[in-house]
Amino acid sequence: MTPEKILIIVPAYNETGNVARTVQEILSLSLPLTVLVVDDGSQDSTAQDAREAGAVVVSLPFNIGIGGAVQTGFQYAIEKGFSLAVQVDGDGQHDVSFVERLIDPIRKNEVDMTIGSRFLPPFTGYRSSFVRRIGIHFFAYLISFLTGYKVTDPTSGFRAFNRKVITIFADEYPHDFPEPESIMVARLYDKRVKEVPVQMRKREAGHSSIRYLATLYYMLKVTSAILFNMIKQKQVG
Amino acid sequence: MIIKILTGFLAVAILILVVELGRRRKLTFKYAIGWILLSLLGLLFDIFDQLLFRTAALFGFTLPSNFIFFTLICFFIFLSLFLTIFLCQQNNRNDTMAQKIGLLEAEIKNIKQDRPPQQSGSRESNP
Repeated sequence: MTPEKILIIVPAYNETGNVARTVQEILSLSLPLTVLVVDDGSQDSTAQDAREAGAVVVSLPFNIGIGGAVQTGFQYAIEKGFSLAVQVDGDGQHDVSFVERLIDPIRKNEVDMTIGSRFLPPFTGYRSSFVRRIGIHFFAYLISFLTGYKVTDPTSGFRAFNRKVITIFADEYPHDFPEPESIMVARLYDKRVKEVPVQMRKREAGHSSIRYLATLYYMLKVTSAILFNMIKQKQVG
Repeated sequence: MIIKILTGFLAVAILILVVELGRRRKLTFKYAIGWILLSLLGLLFDIFDQLLFRTAALFGFTLPSNFIFFTLICFFIFLSLFLTIFLCQQNNRNDTMAQKIGLLEAEIKNIKQDRPPQQSGSRESNP
């Protein structure tokens, strides 16, 4: 048996002030883990902050979006032989004390991928704007319907993956709307996906005041992107 | 007659421009060849206009001008579709390249900083 190696992938774009705290929180967990911050072409000192906090840093030469950044993490995991990967957003929204619960079903080989959900009991106290909640629930129903998985929080970026899923995502990971779309990709490759209840902190400086028309347009875009996955062929072995 | 001169002039101008761009390495053969063939075709129809009339009639067009418009619209629709495909491909390659560069740079830094592997980010001596 090779010892378990866990990679925590933290995509970060201009997260000075947040990233160091996130890294320190993760490193204080008592797990055999490596923290990888993928600096997605930040203009501030995100990379340096992360490095000083004790993370391995991969800096992308320019901004390619969160999907590409997370995928870089999967590629790193493959290269360095990690058996487990966890995605934690760099903005400090995710409560890393839930990492262990997230990887538990994967360790037991019950599933290939877990998604931390804010809408599962006992933690249902997550508050966000009405429009945003409507959007999330709509995508939850849509994806559950299309995939047969029980998904309540498809936009959650707090996730864990086993080696099989890492291998697929290193090659094929959606760049447009990665969180909901990657669930579709997991379905395409018949991987087992399960949600785990987690708590998240409210984002301090978020952009919650999206205009209604823009929201509607955004929802249409994401819906078509999700549906577009239905016509995709397998690309990876 | 004027229209013949005008279109002939246009076709020759495109031909010269494309050849010149190729000479200056601004266009590669792969992308220049289509434009060269198109301008030659235009020139052909311009000089032998009976050929144009007959081809139009063959496809059921009463007016040769309609035939020209229809063909050009089709041409541009497919051209923009192929350009979009090309754009997507370039975009993907660009992202892949950025990821590779990022990973390689991190690896080089890792090797440079100190010899023992995994100097930071890890809580084990040798993960």
